[in-house]
Amino acid sequence: MPYPYAKSAAGLHRRLAFFGLWLVLFAALSYAQTSDTEKPVPILTGNACAFSFVSGGQQVIDTQINPVLLVPLGDRWLVEARAEFEGAFQRPPGGGPYGGPVDKHVDYAQVDYIASSYVTITAGRFLTPFGVFNERLYPVWIRALQPDPLIYPINTAPSDGAMLRGGFAVNPHANLNYAAYVSATSIGIDSVDSERHVGGRLGVFLPGPRLEVGGSWQKTLQDDRKNAFGFHMGWQPAKAPLNLRAEFAHSFIGSGYWIESAYRLSQAHFWQKAMRRTEVVARAQQFYVGEAGPDAAADADLPGANTRMAEFGVNYFLRDGLKGIASYGRQFSSAGNFNQWSFGVAYRWLIPLGRVGAQ
Amino acid sequence: MKTHRHRTLSVVLLLGSLGLASFLFAAAAPDGKARKDSVQDSIHTALVQVTDSDSMRVQGEQRFHANCGRCHATPQKFPPRVMATVIRHMRVRATITDADMRLILSYMTQ
Repeated sequence: MPYPYAKSAAGLHRRLAFFGLWLVLFAALSYAQTSDTEKPVPILTGNACAFSFVSGGQQVIDTQINPVLLVPLGDRWLVEARAEFEGAFQRPPGGGPYGGPVDKHVDYAQVDYIASSYVTITAGRFLTPFGVFNERLYPVWIRALQPDPLIYPINTAPSDGAMLRGGFAVNPHANLNYAAYVSATSIGIDSVDSERHVGGRLGVFLPGPRLEVGGSWQKTLQDDRKNAFGFHMGWQPAKAPLNLRAEFAHSFIGSGYWIESAYRLSQAHFWQKAMRRTEVVARAQQFYVGEAGPDAAADADLPGANTRMAEFGVNYFLRDGLKGIASYGRQFSSAGNFNQWSFGVAYRWLIPLGRVGAQ
Repeated sequence: MKTHRHRTLSVVLLLGSLGLASFLFAAAAPDGKARKDSVQDSIHTALVQVTDSDSMRVQGEQRFHANCGRCHATPQKFPPRVMATVIRHMRVRATITDADMRLILSYMTQ
């Protein structure tokens, strides 16, 4: 059956191309008028990585480049975009050279307008704020363990639409942060696989104890029109270099949780130079197949059976933005138990696209 | 238009008042005392600025660790124009408050 919006796809491509061109020209003209030494400058940043994942004896060489473009305009605007180029290479079953697909897609391409201290308006393609992993912890140079959490695919499909978000102090001891969004596409653009949904996220951050708790909700406005919800928390005690995070998600296709602790060994009294750069990580997680059944779960990149997993890892920060990683995990499920190893390096880079003056 | 005119009038009146006050003060005080007071005022202003700057740095460092440390390790400090872009991005991404953003930017550019 032909796609109902196929006829308008070519016109839409043209309009999007013109919009993109207009945006770049507008950005360039705006930047050309900027001369202050304190004014923000456009930057190209991102990360690159090379990992070896061994799951159940099958090795995959995973290489990624994730460029992020940030173009500030005036005092209140920001145009930002992130793309992902990922190659997953493995040997064919009978042996031979490594080969495999290279996946290319745009994670987000959005325009932000900081309307006030309380509200930022975002439009375009954006990362869906369901939980916090998708928005905040996904980049390889940030995440403490490289394999995605089992529940990561739950309701984190990209959104194409508009969003209101912000953070503000409700009193000297508590900050409130929120996001409310609507995704309104199925517009027939290649590689755009977003869906119609509405949702929101609300969080409270207590700067004193450095504790954040929050919840997310999302309602799909197509197919089964189901609700999903989740909770998240993060705690970084001031007296110990510990980072404790957890998320829970429940949806029609499955539910589960992960809890992770990362401890920087900076308080060790031996080999201090090396210990300061070392972080040990542990994560426990569980996934339960939902009402939609195992096939729907597998289609959504979730495990096709109830699964438990324990993981341990070490990160070594070689220098700012460059770290070596190693981790081991064991997965238990009715589909079979197996080990998962990962090794590699992750690097974050940044290139200013203009004069920055002296540091 | 009306607001703009009011603002211009307010600025003119303020500058006029300051100018008049300075003139009257300079005319009333003997030259030596005026110079001495002027030097003391400068020292006082500098001290206040240093104290404010220190306070902002301390607060900025606290806010930096509380907000940015939630997700990632401490990055290096970049030039002010780069930091201004990064902090605007992080304000949107991590829903950092306006006050925290200003203090963190101040800390990261010192």
